[in-house]
Amino acid sequence: MSLAIAGMGWVTPLGSGIDPVWERLLQGDEAQAEKITEQFSNQYYSVFRVPESALTGSPRHPRLRRASMISRFAAAAGLEALQAAGVKLDSQSAERMALVFAISNGGVIYTKRFYRDIVEGGAQSASPLLFPETVFNAPASHLAAILGITGATYTLVGDSAAGLLAIRMAEDLMTNEALDYCLVVGAEEVDWLLCDAYRRWRLLRLAPPVEPFGRIDRGMILSEGAGAILLRRDGPIIIEGTHAGGNYRKRAEAEELMKRILRDLSRTKIDFVISSANGTFIDKAESRVLQQVIPDAFVYTAKPALGESVGAAGLWQVILGGQALRCGELPPLLHARRTIPLRISLARVSVVASGRAIVLGSGVNQQVAGLRLSIR
Amino acid sequence: MVKSTSANGKKFTARVAVVAAGVVSPLGFGLSETLDSLREARDCVNRVTRFSVAQCRCKTAGQVPAERLLDKQCNRVRARRLHRASHMIIYALGEALTQEPQFKPELTVIGTTSGGMSYGEDYYRSLKQGGNLRHSPTWIANYPAQKPVVDALEAFGIAAPCQVVSNACASGTNAIGHAFDCVRSGRYQRVLTGGYDALSELVFVGFDSLQASTPEKCRPFDRHRAGMVLGEGAAVLALENFNAARARGTTVLAEITGYGISTDNFHLTQPDPSGIGPRRAMERTLQSAHTSADAVDYINAHGTATPFNDTAEGKAISELFDRVPVSSTKSMMGHSLGAAGAVEAVICLLALQHQFLPPNINFRAPDEDIHLNIVANKAQPALVSTVLSNSFGFGGTNASILMRKFDA
Repeated sequence: MSLAIAGMGWVTPLGSGIDPVWERLLQGDEAQAEKITEQFSNQYYSVFRVPESALTGSPRHPRLRRASMISRFAAAAGLEALQAAGVKLDSQSAERMALVFAISNGGVIYTKRFYRDIVEGGAQSASPLLFPETVFNAPASHLAAILGITGATYTLVGDSAAGLLAIRMAEDLMTNEALDYCLVVGAEEVDWLLCDAYRRWRLLRLAPPVEPFGRIDRGMILSEGAGAILLRRDGPIIIEGTHAGGNYRKRAEAEELMKRILRDLSRTKIDFVISSANGTFIDKAESRVLQQVIPDAFVYTAKPALGESVGAAGLWQVILGGQALRCGELPPLLHARRTIPLRISLARVSVVASGRAIVLGSGVNQQVAGLRLSIR
Repeated sequence: MVKSTSANGKKFTARVAVVAAGVVSPLGFGLSETLDSLREARDCVNRVTRFSVAQCRCKTAGQVPAERLLDKQCNRVRARRLHRASHMIIYALGEALTQEPQFKPELTVIGTTSGGMSYGEDYYRSLKQGGNLRHSPTWIANYPAQKPVVDALEAFGIAAPCQVVSNACASGTNAIGHAFDCVRSGRYQRVLTGGYDALSELVFVGFDSLQASTPEKCRPFDRHRAGMVLGEGAAVLALENFNAARARGTTVLAEITGYGISTDNFHLTQPDPSGIGPRRAMERTLQSAHTSADAVDYINAHGTATPFNDTAEGKAISELFDRVPVSSTKSMMGHSLGAAGAVEAVICLLALQHQFLPPNINFRAPDEDIHLNIVANKAQPALVSTVLSNSFGFGGTNASILMRKFDA
């Protein structure tokens, strides 16, 4: 079953809106790193945050008054996708739309604050206002309320592959002819606690740059934001097929899984691959598999420019793939060595020949998935 | 096969069989112990031992005994590194695969609300209080919500991808419902589904802070109900295309025949008092199953025993159904959140197989505003052919599934 992307929305550390963010990526811009710390630690971490200006003009809704940043990012991206598709929802059309959310860490800022109060002051200090926002499906609930969606709403939790798994779920949901649209949103917010956890896991670098496909896995930089795509059954950018992939137990097994996904998706000529390379062990695994399976395809990752947004990452990759197919070019790959044995370009490059691309979603927490895009 | 379209537009080709199931909860380890607890109407809620509840109004929960859980793991050394949520889902999956060792799912859809939350708590406490962080890599690695599912699949050599649904307290039913749709649509032959959640301090205190949990007994639908108690557990169901299951001669435990989902946008934590959300979920389930309310013999209610939930759910049920027996088995084991829908689906399965109505314990006096036929305090023998199971959650998410007895 194939689906089409009717509209897209993007909130990133490079700003918001599909065209402005895309233009900045084409220019070779990179998000500004911000150093963050925590009261009880001297350790600083660099993160790519969404600038306040990116949310100017985003929706005002009672549901968002006390909501966490992740909910605000998601709402802004979701509404942009609908607007781009020219879809205005009324009670009838909202009933024919499903909402699928992808997240990884969820509302971590409020979760930490809620638990901090318990640790510092005991259970009686816990805030009943914060607790509901710690629930994984709070951002989806807010967006459903803003849009008036009364049917299927799902939140999927996973790693950087969660976004592609959410699109796979959307594909399954759209077999139901009672649905005209499925809005898929990936969102994440960044916090010191996450940085510390990923550093202890040896996956984080203390400061940029993120060096994709480097000789040494120096680590990633965490970022935040949201991506949204509105799916329907026809349109110019087609999701030809999704691959639900699987789970790897050890890092060494990730490669086998990626190979299977790429082989299944590359039975036709592929122009380029939107990779998950983020400066971690993922890069070497992807690099080896890409060399073996589709050595002729261009390879691009936006993670040096935008950071690793985990739950939002898969949606960002699909947006990148869709934009590249639509515009016929890829942005420059930042901070990469010229000698990488992959077909990369350090300058913006024209790519569309067959009009097909693969998005490879390789998460650092055991999940891998993929999908193939094409343009009519 | 002839394709038909249901009232809510779904095109379907396949009947969906439940071919195996496994469960662990405060009611017991496995189907047999769970059945005994249900028949004997055991109250499996007791004082919380895993963390301090000194400052909480509520002091009790349904808990799975930790040592027994660890004893059930084949590799105790490795098991000690895993989160107890992993232990629970490994146990449940192991029981299901004992019934169907050859079951090779193409997809896994599992519900949870909090993953390995208690490891996140350990990590934060140690960081903040300058404690020992020697175990932090284990805590961090086992915190993500997908990890217990991946652990369970790995323990039994299953390579299927997993989708982890986190729709608050409806997660388990949403996971089963989506898995059902996947098989019914013909896109998949076999899907493994279920839910899990382990008790954690953050969540326990969270419900306490909302005053949703009670210092008293959990009394769903009772006039004097004062709130919920939490629980924990895991359950899995192996779903298969009915014809494929029959063709290979496997035992069909039951069929899932309908699923409905709705979202009410009333409030993040409170249901619409009109009951419109639960009502829509139940109506859509009946439409999806091409059946009428008259066909339903028993409803396993969401029944958290909070004033708001039970009033809204009670209103919705009484508007749709005429004196159908209803119980909330949360009265016996607490609310296991992401596991609840899955554990309750297994309870429904047992009701169908053993022809009885599971009890709603601690019930003393009916609420004048809730007009339900409650299965009060004792299990009852009954002819049960079709059962409905409800789960509703924060965020206004509502889900119901319909299961039918299968006679070979």
